[in-house]
Amino acid sequence: MTWKLGRRWLLAAAVPAVAAARGASAQSWPAQNIRLVVPFAPGGTTDIVARLLGAGLQERLGVSVVVENRAGAGATVGSETVARAAPDGYTLVVSNIASHGISPHVYRNRMRYDAVTDFTHIALVVTNPTVWVANPNSGIRTLADAVARARSAQGLDVATSGAGSSNHLMVVRMGQLIGKELNHIPFRGAGPAMQAVIAGQVPMMSDSLPSASSHIRQGSVVAVAMASAQRHSAFPDVPTFREQGYDLASDSWFGLSAPAGLPAPIVERLNRETRAFLSTEAVRARFAELGGTPGDMTAADYAEFVKQEVAKWAPLVQASGASAD
Amino acid sequence: MKLNAKDLISAGLLMSFAAVALWLNLDHTLGSARRMGPGYMPMLAFWILMGLGGITLVLGLFNGPDPIETWTPSEVWFLIGGAAAGTVAGLAAARMPGFASVGWNPLGIGLFVGCMVASIVPSWRPLFLVSGAFTLFGIVLEPLGLMVAISISVILSSFADKTHTPLGVAGLVVFLCVLCWAVFIYELDIRVPVWPQF
Amino acid sequence: MDLIQNLGHGFGVAFTLNNLLFCFIGCIIGTAIGVLPGIGPVATISLLLPITFGQPATTAIIMLAGIYYGAQYGGSTTAILLNLPGEVSSVVTTLEGYKMARNGRAGAALTVAACGSFFAGSVATILVAASGPLLTQVALSFGPADYFSLMFLGLIISAVLAQGSVAKSIAMVALGVSLGMVGTDVQTGQQRFTFGIPELSDGVGFVSIAMGMFGIAEIIINLERPESRSVMSGKVGSLMMTRAEVRRSIPSVLRGTAVGSMLGILPGGGAALSSFASYMMERKLSSHRHEFGSGAIEGVAGPESANNAASQTSFIPLLTLGIPGNAVMALMVGALIIQGIQPGPRMVEAQPDLFWGLIASMWVGNLMLLVINLPLVGMWVKLLAVPYRYMYPSIMIFCAIGVYSLQNNVFDVYQTVVFGIFGYLCSKLRLEGAPMLIGFVLGPMMEEHLRRAMLLSRGDWGVFIERPISATLLAIAAIALAAMLLPNIRKSKDAALQEGG
Repeated sequence: MTWKLGRRWLLAAAVPAVAAARGASAQSWPAQNIRLVVPFAPGGTTDIVARLLGAGLQERLGVSVVVENRAGAGATVGSETVARAAPDGYTLVVSNIASHGISPHVYRNRMRYDAVTDFTHIALVVTNPTVWVANPNSGIRTLADAVARARSAQGLDVATSGAGSSNHLMVVRMGQLIGKELNHIPFRGAGPAMQAVIAGQVPMMSDSLPSASSHIRQGSVVAVAMASAQRHSAFPDVPTFREQGYDLASDSWFGLSAPAGLPAPIVERLNRETRAFLSTEAVRARFAELGGTPGDMTAADYAEFVKQEVAKWAPLVQASGASAD
Repeated sequence: MKLNAKDLISAGLLMSFAAVALWLNLDHTLGSARRMGPGYMPMLAFWILMGLGGITLVLGLFNGPDPIETWTPSEVWFLIGGAAAGTVAGLAAARMPGFASVGWNPLGIGLFVGCMVASIVPSWRPLFLVSGAFTLFGIVLEPLGLMVAISISVILSSFADKTHTPLGVAGLVVFLCVLCWAVFIYELDIRVPVWPQF
Repeated sequence: MDLIQNLGHGFGVAFTLNNLLFCFIGCIIGTAIGVLPGIGPVATISLLLPITFGQPATTAIIMLAGIYYGAQYGGSTTAILLNLPGEVSSVVTTLEGYKMARNGRAGAALTVAACGSFFAGSVATILVAASGPLLTQVALSFGPADYFSLMFLGLIISAVLAQGSVAKSIAMVALGVSLGMVGTDVQTGQQRFTFGIPELSDGVGFVSIAMGMFGIAEIIINLERPESRSVMSGKVGSLMMTRAEVRRSIPSVLRGTAVGSMLGILPGGGAALSSFASYMMERKLSSHRHEFGSGAIEGVAGPESANNAASQTSFIPLLTLGIPGNAVMALMVGALIIQGIQPGPRMVEAQPDLFWGLIASMWVGNLMLLVINLPLVGMWVKLLAVPYRYMYPSIMIFCAIGVYSLQNNVFDVYQTVVFGIFGYLCSKLRLEGAPMLIGFVLGPMMEEHLRRAMLLSRGDWGVFIERPISATLLAIAAIALAAMLLPNIRKSKDAALQEGG
């Protein structure tokens, strides 16, 4: 019976990963449960995909992968606990654009880990384009409409899921490009922001595609522009920012990382299993529906990618004024 | 005299809280009404708190008498001593190598030492033994596991009540260990170390 | 008729053996975590999410919903018996419920909480089924200015929670608002009053404050006064409600249901306001209002009905817009997405089994909860007969584990100790905890809406009086404030607060 199966899963998970011998060698790995730390509250896009990944890895590695949510301080609280854990392959973290791209600049003086050197970066899991959507009755259908509104006396209000998020930094960047500051309206999460757009209180929103996709499909909002290099396969009708004359292309992303010093064979195995999981037909289809693109990078490439991201966000964070100091 | 001691102390507490908070709030920009800075709403809240503290103060001058229980000299001294010992212990722990300075352990050790010193006075025991036992639970939970944490904090807290018998406490420890294992580990599967780790 | 037909279809789905079983499991788990202090539905649902992977989407969501409203039922138990509120809604229940328990009427308090919740849940379920889409418009018509005025009204009338001095209790509201300022500023991302502690960047924990100021402080005070607790364990009293108690509860349950159903629709804060809006109403409207503060059954019946009604109607934004109103709803969206279903306005047509099955199972779940909880009342009440020397270490340990499990962080345990000592001090000074907790919850929301409203209005304060909803709410707040400051005009005060509900 399914309940029994669930119970067995719970029982298997009940032995904390740390309780058993710590000196597990790379050859015998994995010999016990793996703890996958998600540095966000449960229920968000990242959490959902991390759980899908956890279930996939559990099947492939033959040990339980227990997802643990440790939210707080721009995803740095959860990442910090992993940075300090033993590099034995039993503690992993979902590294992401917040904890390993933007927060290092927002929390400059308070960071207790280095996003590049304190981690072994293993694999890119997914990239999500940012999409700008508008209320259907706002009169905004294209970026040109939006820019015209921004330059008018009225100004343009743009909602986001929160200050210091990549969605917010896109609003700052767009303001720089058109030479007129946009009126940024931060919300506590994407849900309330989307509701304000649907209700018409705010005309536009800068959101990540997975959280906006169902609302675009249902027609409750209009997709105005996609902030990625090419048009997205699931939304071929939505033009990019570049097509509309503004050089703005940035995806949010997250991947799999471990504390620094993880033995190479374990890195290799995790990278292989993650990519194998991401390339299955069912996973690709699910990701396409949500609006994300599954990653396919070697561990070295992902480490380099993280390094570039950290460098890339510094000037925009400064321009946005977001700071924890 | 119609002084209401409780109200006067409350007012002092609230107003000093507001004063400290207003001082801390100087770090934050106030902004304009259109784009309020991070300091705007705290400023409003703290001034309102200050004002209400003031009203409480004025009312307290007339609506008494309502004296508070007077503390014996030993109660006062051990309270001050506990606060001082706790601060010293916490700061010392933060400088020590190993377990004492890891994570929140200095805070826990400081709180625990402070509670223990104050609880030397019998009349402080309900307050500081219960607080101390709660703190002790936090200190030992991660290194020694749930079972040890339950046992020693129950034993410590049992000194807060004179009617306990050793046998009763032992029975309670066993009962709580079994119950908590069944409820929290077996049924709910919360993430907590159960046994000591070596 | 369509509605009847659809509901019939829904009951067909809900009454399959598998769905009934999982609804039952969800209700049992929900009741258990509701009773345990600290451990809430969010943590439990995220732990149990993997179990639902193997189930059909409808079954999964039925079970998760069962956990959610099961926790609402269970939460009142510890509030009434032990003065331990696990969440905002049960803070209010402690006020009269715990007093009733001390008077030997714990059985009646638990019974009225269960029956009131069942009635309110049934009415709210019908409301969701019959006019969900229509009520969505109500939620959408609330702008930031209106939310601000609603929160402001909430804070003003929370002074009614005062058992003693009004000035001190408003001061405690302000203290709560001040504590709520700790953490990351939503608008700028800046850290305020965190002293560089990352654990404080999301604010001081509600559960830590509630456990410390109510649970731990209560233990200490009981230990200091052995005579008062022996009285308590001696008086278990009759389990059944007396005829007079039933008669007194009925209007309170009706009013609570109405208030809760309306406020539950508003995402973010509506549900939190519902139980204490109802308490405030009862305190002003009940014909036994002089008994408030010493264990009036209306003060349990109304708020408990209101919070259960609100937890049912809070599904409306999720089911009709696909927008989660709170953290539990966000997890439900997650569960649905993992199942490959996108919640949203088309869900009614695209997934009729899921939509109507869930609505029908809400009612079935409420019935199950009543059946589970009523027999348990006797057992819970017997707990009070356990000598207090065994009770207090147990309460302490359960609180400690619950607090730790929130974030798996001992910082929360130490934070609770600090609030325990503060709570003890407050009770010595007759400063009340309930208004402070209300301020703590509503303050940050009020700030958020105020600043957003001002951003959108380009700095024009006029927006608060130009919008009809906001203007009405502010007018009520002004009348309530005036009535409170001038205690002589008692008649108009009652009238004002009547409108306020």
